Amino acid sequence: MSNRKKDHPLVNTTEPNLLADTFNYSLPPLIKFDGPIIEYIDGKPVEFDPKSAVARDIVITDTTFRDGQQARPPYSIAQMVKIYDMMAKLGGPNGVIRQTEFFLYTKNDREALDQCRDLGHKYPECTGWIRANKGDFRLVKEAGLKETGMLTSCSDFHIFQKLKFKNRQECLDAYCEVVEAAFEAGIRPRCHLEDLTRADIDGFVLPFVERLMKMSEKVPEELSVKIRLCDTMGFGITYPGVELPRSIPKLIYKLNKECGVPSDRLEWHGHNDFHKVHVNGGSAWLYGCDAVNATLFGVGERTGNPPLEGAIIEYISLKGDLCGIDTTMITEMANYMSSIGMIIPDNYPFVGKHFNTTRAGIHAGGLRQAEQIYNIFDTTKLLGRSPRVAITDKSGVDGIAIWVNEYFGLTGEDRISKIKVYKVAQWVMDQYEVEGRLSTITDEELESKVKEYMPEYSAKYNGSLRNL
Amino acid sequence: MQIEEVKTRVKKVTAEVLEMNVSEIADNANFVTDLGATSLQSIRLVAGFEEEFNIEMDEDKSLQVQTVSEAVTFINTYL
Repeated sequence: MSNRKKDHPLVNTTEPNLLADTFNYSLPPLIKFDGPIIEYIDGKPVEFDPKSAVARDIVITDTTFRDGQQARPPYSIAQMVKIYDMMAKLGGPNGVIRQTEFFLYTKNDREALDQCRDLGHKYPECTGWIRANKGDFRLVKEAGLKETGMLTSCSDFHIFQKLKFKNRQECLDAYCEVVEAAFEAGIRPRCHLEDLTRADIDGFVLPFVERLMKMSEKVPEELSVKIRLCDTMGFGITYPGVELPRSIPKLIYKLNKECGVPSDRLEWHGHNDFHKVHVNGGSAWLYGCDAVNATLFGVGERTGNPPLEGAIIEYISLKGDLCGIDTTMITEMANYMSSIGMIIPDNYPFVGKHFNTTRAGIHAGGLRQAEQIYNIFDTTKLLGRSPRVAITDKSGVDGIAIWVNEYFGLTGEDRISKIKVYKVAQWVMDQYEVEGRLSTITDEELESKVKEYMPEYSAKYNGSLRNL
Repeated sequence: MQIEEVKTRVKKVTAEVLEMNVSEIADNANFVTDLGATSLQSIRLVAGFEEEFNIEMDEDKSLQVQTVSEAVTFINTYL
């Protein structure tokens, strides 16, 4: 007996349907929704409308100089200024990268902040980061910042075991005292709910945030408390049906709809301990946080934070528009970070040496026929990185032909056919089958062999490894 | 050029590239399924035919040729 519930007749066609509305190649593939997201909260179905979420003024905030710097040797002032300048160009004039936060404790911290602001960029706005210590507001005030993040750790691991409060009430009162000090100093506090995904939500977090909202009612809007949801250990999960405190949809809903924190005052800050950091951040946008906090190339405590460049691509995919973003800066920033010692794995998305390199010959064959078959989007236009083939015994003649044409800078009808490169391809195969080689063929070796086996083309065209 | 001469020379090139005797190559032999040509050897065959007959063939069409007799007919269109 058949278990079929619905017939699905073949739609025969001689014209391919390449789904161009989603995969239009000039942008990262668009993320489209065809219905609401349903999450059961306190036993009742709650609808989240992703389309209206995407229509909000969602933004990226940056913590490269704070969380990012906690995970590496300190940046020099010049390096921070350079990174800030590139970040401003990346995020563009609409402030897609809306804010970035700075330590304020050392002379160098403050000097870097001053020099960044001296560049005159509107975005990212500079904010501070301090402990929940009233005395620290002097630093914020002296720096002339309008907003600062402050630690308000909310799990009992932190409240009792780290901060040694006697009870939750004492902790809550202490935090609120510091928030009051911020108001008095005319500084907007951004309360970082550290370790939120391991906290007692009903027993501490919601009462605390409710009190913060009540306090905010007594101050001008521009001073009202912002809430950063800190998934400090990367425990947050987006799966429907997960219980609190790990459920990201439920956490955001409770703060947004029950405590009344508006979306433009909610920010998600994740960590990558369980490989969920990027999707958790993107989901936070959909469930009601306007801001996702990120670091350049995901560098942050332990396993890192949402990668800023990943959030940028996600943003474009959701919005369906560049929104003023200069994506080519992603490549420039990667080059700069590499130049100051950061190691970017070869397979790291968007910037790794081989992120759009194909090795299999059968894939190279597809790439040769139509670039889009094995390239995620127009990486040449958006990232300044054309798709590559790496040459091994799996590359096939197609892979060699792509390499040779790139080397000679030939496109369109000028491209050399794979029939003309067979001697080079044979040499490559012999390296593995006869010589027992195990490593990838280098560009320099291939250049040498092209000159040897294809002298007529080498004489005709100006081949260069710089073309690759 | 007589078609028989084309066939003889096609078999000669095929035997050289695939390292076998001409006598082992039937007229209707399939380069891949009967004679065991790899993808690289298929390219070498096309390149070998171009050199042998001093012609330049369409890449895609030439790689669609599957048998010795098809190759003879296809090459003959360039002569």
